[in-house]
Amino acid sequence: MTLKLKIPCLIGAALISGCAANAQPDINWVATGAELKVCAAEDEMPYSNKKGEGFENKLTRLLSKNLNRKIKYVYWDDPRYFVRDYLNKGQCDVVIGVDAGDPRVLTTAPYYRSAYSFISREDDDLDLHDWDSDVLRSVKRIGYIPGTPSEIMIRAIGRYSDTFNYNKALVGFKSRRNQYVKYDVNKIVDDVASGKAEVAVLWGPSAARYVKASTTPLTMTVVPDNATRADGKKVGQHYSTSMAVRKGETVLLKQLNQFIKQQESDIEDLLEAEGIPLLSKS
Amino acid sequence: MRIKQFARNMGVTLLASSAIFALSQQAHANKKLDDLSEQNTNWVMQTKDYGSSHFSDMYQINIQNVHKLKPVWSFSTGVLNGHEGGPLVVDGIMYVHSPFPNNIFAIDLDEPEKILWEYKPKQNPAARAVACCDVVNRGLAYAPGTKDYPPTIFQDQLDGHVVAINAKTGKMLWKIENSDISMGSTLTSAPFVAKDMVIVGSAGAELGVRGYATAYKIKDGSQVWRVYATGPDEDIGIGKGFNDANPHYGQFGLGTKTWEDDAWKIGGGTNWGWYAYDSDLEMLYYGSGNPAPWNETMRPGDNKWTMTIWGRDVNTGKAKFGYQKTPHDEWDYAGVNYMGLSEQMVDGKMTKLLTHPDRNGLVYTLNRENGDLVNAFKIDDTVNWVKKVDLKTGLPIRDPEYSTHMDHEAKGICPSAMGYHNQGIESYDPNKKLFFMGTNHICMDWEPFMLPYRAGQFFVGATLNMYPGPKGTLGQVKAMDGVTGEFKWEIAEKFAVWGGTMATAGDLVFYGTLDGYIKALNSKNGEELWKFKLPSGVIGHPITYKHNGKQFVSIYYGVGGWPGVGLVFDLQDPTAGLGAVGAFKELAHYTQMGGGVMTFALD
Repeated sequence: MTLKLKIPCLIGAALISGCAANAQPDINWVATGAELKVCAAEDEMPYSNKKGEGFENKLTRLLSKNLNRKIKYVYWDDPRYFVRDYLNKGQCDVVIGVDAGDPRVLTTAPYYRSAYSFISREDDDLDLHDWDSDVLRSVKRIGYIPGTPSEIMIRAIGRYSDTFNYNKALVGFKSRRNQYVKYDVNKIVDDVASGKAEVAVLWGPSAARYVKASTTPLTMTVVPDNATRADGKKVGQHYSTSMAVRKGETVLLKQLNQFIKQQESDIEDLLEAEGIPLLSKS
Repeated sequence: MRIKQFARNMGVTLLASSAIFALSQQAHANKKLDDLSEQNTNWVMQTKDYGSSHFSDMYQINIQNVHKLKPVWSFSTGVLNGHEGGPLVVDGIMYVHSPFPNNIFAIDLDEPEKILWEYKPKQNPAARAVACCDVVNRGLAYAPGTKDYPPTIFQDQLDGHVVAINAKTGKMLWKIENSDISMGSTLTSAPFVAKDMVIVGSAGAELGVRGYATAYKIKDGSQVWRVYATGPDEDIGIGKGFNDANPHYGQFGLGTKTWEDDAWKIGGGTNWGWYAYDSDLEMLYYGSGNPAPWNETMRPGDNKWTMTIWGRDVNTGKAKFGYQKTPHDEWDYAGVNYMGLSEQMVDGKMTKLLTHPDRNGLVYTLNRENGDLVNAFKIDDTVNWVKKVDLKTGLPIRDPEYSTHMDHEAKGICPSAMGYHNQGIESYDPNKKLFFMGTNHICMDWEPFMLPYRAGQFFVGATLNMYPGPKGTLGQVKAMDGVTGEFKWEIAEKFAVWGGTMATAGDLVFYGTLDGYIKALNSKNGEELWKFKLPSGVIGHPITYKHNGKQFVSIYYGVGGWPGVGLVFDLQDPTAGLGAVGAFKELAHYTQMGGGVMTFALD
């Protein structure tokens, strides 16, 4: 079975599909409680940036109101080390998005579950269901981010070598040795829109707003969770996202869990407004 | 002249005989360059001559008087980046090149105060971003004129083009694209002229460029042959007779079989280094570089024929032998270094030899007719990734402690990814039968990382930290017997000796230092006899020539390249510049950027 999710919030469709950002907390509201230090990316859109434009920034505002605590953002610029150098060192206390069960931290109950998704032009009408789809063997370029399950699958279907160069070009041929090299999801989605790449396989939440904003209608197809590597081992395509605190910070964890439970529908509205393909959390 | 006219006018009916005539012309052109390289008034190749001796038999400047050497003129190229290679001198004209934007200046040695002509190419500025380690260029090549073309200067350009320029006027004769920067491929090497061809390399292995060498016709830039480092035998130029003398090096089908699936297509093995040529054997020698991607776990197998010393038929590009020095490289020991030819006694027989100081810290001496491994030894006793090379099998015996496997944090690997020997052109004194080597005495820690992010994503990479080797300084100069592996003398240098050496019959070895000295040592014992502080650090090599009866020494200054990458891009993080910044963080206290040529003579 394949899940196909047409993004309902294409330009001009906003009114009928009701995807106006109705989950925004009241911007005039000011918290009075003790400051909460949130670890956030300086520039990792669409999650977070310094201007507060990411969907995790919006979630943070929702959280601020729920806990009645002022937010102090502590920004990091290298996602490799934010747990080690920020959360664990006590520079900040809450991380808004990690994989549920991340062993480095204490994670809350998942507040959403989503999936890697194929992104293609609606007009191309590609016969694209899962990693076994023939079209993935015939398209010229496939956008993906190294280190993700998509890379493992690109290898499994034998497209790694011939898409290597495009993948390097996406980051101006920067080497991942000795440095964090940021792949711009917006650029990969734009490449699909412009036809430079026929397909991108990206973590749905990271691509959703760009797919939604594209002036060329794009389709997002959830990758079913049945992908396997050459050796038969499963390659997970669906992941649950939680908030996180340092190990031992059980009081704060409890508060976050309460927030997630109490405002489940507000959070869902917010994520839906972002265009994120949401799967059942259970 | 009469015969020439005749051949030209006979047209198609005498096609066969005119083809024979063309062949003899080629041989003649080749010999002309060979002859020029033997004249002390010239320095016509980066390697000085086909054998890459980088040795001059002049002795006007010698151990008695070198202390009186003084600068006589200088010239700024107006470019601040690292200046690798050296100028050429032909018929009283010096040809000076710069790093990107790859300008060329011709200077009349009778009037060095003025520019005779200049060539300033327009290049795709995107090339700057693709180059890994500064925007260097290793120099020009020269071909004497024939009936088909005027005296010509060749240049590889960073954005992947090769140009031919009229050496008299500076006007461009032709321009071709050899490498596509949109594929991550740049050109930083010096072209090499042999017969009626100019040989061009490739760069960008790290980016998945499949390395190749190409021969173009001097006349019009049309392609004669192209051979790859990886892939099917026919692409690599492997056919009948390959490695006949040493079948244990490997023979057929290995350019694909030693890779997983079709990984050879992005397998690297670019050759951005130097060539040597034996005009009797008509064989060309060069090394292919490191495999790609750099993360060794992603490319199981020997990854042939990266890291290989090639002996090829210059006419066809076909390989006679290929010896892979570092099968399945884990350290980025790109094997493109200096190839020095010599004729020496081996087991009582005068033998044609090739000596190659590899980035992996080993020096290899091969019989250059058939590829027999004569000797392989450590350039310094602190090399530790390898215990020794088994001369019977040709294989390195590794020490797993210094492997860079993903599950292993390796400390104190010697040499570092920069190699104990990098791109410097070295010298060979045929009278003393000694090679003079500048080295990088730099080691490294290699910490692989695989850190979780979210949604099953991991950041995979490695952090390299480089620092001075066990002997405490970053560089050395050594006098070496390439056959026995004995070192006659060795001296320490504060910084890496990056650009190489030049030796003379005046019992002298000249070289430049990263902190900006040009120095002369007594080649008999390594004693320092003279030094002069240049405006900027040196990563190129000295040359010497005679003009109006007087011996001159010239050298580029202009710090940069990989060792100077911290200065060039103002990097602070010790792991930046692929780890070079840490090793060379002291450099900024000694020198700053600035490029040009300086010329010295006795009073």
